[in-house]
Amino acid sequence: MKINDVVKAEEGEIFDIELDENILKANAELAQQNRELLRKQGVKAIDVMGSIGAGKTSLIEKMVQKLKTHYRIAVFKGDLTTTIDAEIIGKHGVNVVAINTGKECHLDANLVQKALRRLDLEATDLLFIENVGNLICPAEFPLGSEKRIVVISVTEGPYMVVKHPFIFMDADVAVINKIDLAEAMGVDIAKLQNDVKKINPKTKTVTTNCRTGKGVDQVIAALNL
Amino acid sequence: MHEGSITSQIVENVLREAEKRKAKRVLEVHLEIGKLMFLNPEQVHFWYQMLTKNTILEGSQLLIEEKPGTVKCPKCGYEGDFQYVDDPALHMPMPTLNCPKCDGTVKIVSGKDCFIKTVKMLI
Repeated sequence: MKINDVVKAEEGEIFDIELDENILKANAELAQQNRELLRKQGVKAIDVMGSIGAGKTSLIEKMVQKLKTHYRIAVFKGDLTTTIDAEIIGKHGVNVVAINTGKECHLDANLVQKALRRLDLEATDLLFIENVGNLICPAEFPLGSEKRIVVISVTEGPYMVVKHPFIFMDADVAVINKIDLAEAMGVDIAKLQNDVKKINPKTKTVTTNCRTGKGVDQVIAALNL
Repeated sequence: MHEGSITSQIVENVLREAEKRKAKRVLEVHLEIGKLMFLNPEQVHFWYQMLTKNTILEGSQLLIEEKPGTVKCPKCGYEGDFQYVDDPALHMPMPTLNCPKCDGTVKIVSGKDCFIKTVKMLI
């Protein structure tokens, strides 16, 4: 018999190793540490997430103006780069830490932990954490805050909510901004509100025009501030 | 959405484990992805192939099991799958936090995670 080929057994033994390792555990643990630190220091932290250009910074600006006599406020301002928005908010006399992610499309608990070290927590009662403009990724990375706001605007069209159901599942308050433009955009606000309600009946929906400040008091009330 | 970075973390973790055990080769990695994760199996496979090149994981099988999400209703005690809104315009059923059994709002129990379950190694 002619030998065509030789099959060699690999040396060693094959083992099945149980790892059961959670890939997102590292972020979840850091978020928990942030949550505990904030609670211990008596700081109420609120995430502000939302699409690009929806009006997250404008909403924070308006809330800061209304709340700064009642609370000692600080703001973390997440962006890929630049401190443009951080400076806009800083003009209102509150502490702002700009978090530049460089290339990442969302904040994570590690970056927030670093920013918390730069802040005098003893002198802070209320912290707004503005995420990078994005309706997808921030849903996956909890930061350790107490409440979450999601901001969208009518200029993004009528399907923003149904296209991004996951981020609304975690939202305590959904803000629909730029309502003064709804008619021009042909967007039905009641339909957007109903979409939010369908996904998470517990999410409170507020309509705003953050340029004039219309509806901002209702956002503040929805956050129990 | 983060297939690249998350797959790179998976490969790193398996490599670390393999080095610890002085494995010669990794033959199989069994992954469990929750339904609520933004991880598309096709893209995870693609990245896995790229990232395992020239490592002892090269040529190994990546098995991905998608786990359904589970929810629990604090009002009636229902435990199980989400209630979906099946609007044809959405192309895929949209999960909601409405309880399928009563008018309560459910809490998410699982589905937002990604586990490396087991790894088959040649040691």
